[in-house]
Amino acid sequence: MADEIDFDALLAQYKSDPFDYVDIYAIHTGRVTFKVSDGQEVTGPGGEWGQIPGTLLYEINRERNPKNISAGTNGIVTGIHLEFEGQFVEAGEKLLTIKHPLKKKEIIENILKEVLSLFSAPETAKYFFAMDIQSRIDKKGARAITIDSGDEILTMSLMKRDTPVYYKGEQGVIHSVYFKPGVSVAQGEPLIGICAPEKLPLIQKIITRVKADWDTDH
Amino acid sequence: MAENSPTPQAVLDCLKRQVSPVTHRCSDSKIIRYGAFVGSVIESHSSLPRAMDYGRELIRLAADDGKSVASGTVILADTMSSCKGRFTREWHAPAGGVWGCMIHANTLLPQSRQFVSLAVGVACCEAVRESGGDEALLRWVNDLLVDGRKLAGFLIETYTERTHGEEFTLVGFGINVNNRAFPSELTDCAVSLAEILGKHSNLTEFTTLFLAKLAWCFGLLYHEEALELRGESFSGSAGRHMLLQRWLELSDTVGKKVVYGFDVMTAPQYRAEVLRVDEYGGLVLRLEDGFVKTEYSGEVRYIP
Repeated sequence: MADEIDFDALLAQYKSDPFDYVDIYAIHTGRVTFKVSDGQEVTGPGGEWGQIPGTLLYEINRERNPKNISAGTNGIVTGIHLEFEGQFVEAGEKLLTIKHPLKKKEIIENILKEVLSLFSAPETAKYFFAMDIQSRIDKKGARAITIDSGDEILTMSLMKRDTPVYYKGEQGVIHSVYFKPGVSVAQGEPLIGICAPEKLPLIQKIITRVKADWDTDH
Repeated sequence: MAENSPTPQAVLDCLKRQVSPVTHRCSDSKIIRYGAFVGSVIESHSSLPRAMDYGRELIRLAADDGKSVASGTVILADTMSSCKGRFTREWHAPAGGVWGCMIHANTLLPQSRQFVSLAVGVACCEAVRESGGDEALLRWVNDLLVDGRKLAGFLIETYTERTHGEEFTLVGFGINVNNRAFPSELTDCAVSLAEILGKHSNLTEFTTLFLAKLAWCFGLLYHEEALELRGESFSGSAGRHMLLQRWLELSDTVGKKVVYGFDVMTAPQYRAEVLRVDEYGGLVLRLEDGFVKTEYSGEVRYIP
């Protein structure tokens, strides 16, 4: 239960190991050529529109169709599987890990994700709030909006095809919004975090506690 | 009685006369068979508030009755009073245009569904060109332009009915055919076929042709999907998806300088040059800083 989270233990864990470990897998079958080495620092995508690719991690080549795969986040390369260098691998084979240093804001979000009910993207697409929800957010703010299972909350837009997305889950308020209109969200990534109204004090406690206990932003 | 009243038989007859401009292969009969559901039921109304809403109501009523709306059902109205475009944009539907929607029970795989927006654009562009509008061109994703002015617009919305959870795609279309008067704010950016040709067209004949083209394009989607499922190459040149190939032939977007935005009218994001359209229909753009980005939704406006 979220109410029973041991914050001291959680914070101690983040203090002793303030990193996310992002595993990188082969996106499809093919022959792999690594472009990074263990211990190398890598950067994620940059630019105002995310147009500058992250550090090139590996190339995968199938039927003379090479694809370059870049880092989606910054960090240090660890656990690189050099035994796959030049080898043909299956889709989904783990190739390396990026040890990503967490910022204070990310730690708060990570802890909140253990408390909030997350509603994830059904497909890789761009999302925006349903018009009714958006107008209510504009008037009162997201945290004043209560949603219930079956409510049309979002519109998924892909190739000018708009699909309404219905919320499934327990009733609650929209506490966290993880997407930006016009920015693509990968399938399975959280779109919003929902919180039962009675848990709002707990959420505030988490935020206050982390802000107080964390000395720096990094 | 509605003025625009094509019949399912006329649409089917017109579909049978369609032969692929790019293949001329025996697969044509398969494509016709796959696409023949489009226009199998046609409702013609003299007026409706909004065809998409009416379509959703038809789906709901059928589900409540333990049935399902026939896939390919087309709803037409001579005029519509509560039209809208994407986001909060207005759409005017006076007498003389082709206004309506097609209900498609969604039996396409996700990778084919991506092309539905392209399909309706291609269908309309071909119909307009065959009707004399030779200059018609597609702007990504599916805006139909003549000399930079919009002749047709489309709205694709998915709807899942609650009783059985069946998913439908509502393909909305608005084509300026014989209507010549536009609201003042649209005068410079909208055009009708009548303005281009200098004469009126037979609305029912044009709609019949458009629906036959739409049937052909949906047939193509199913045909190409079947090839892919059998592990074969798509039937366009160099293994390209045939619908995408046809779209490329009808579009002038590649090579253009554009401004891109998810809602480009109210929130333009960046300027770029269109390098190509990828195998999934995504727009590959080179931004002003030289980096390349691919967009799968949103819209563009050309920069003169």
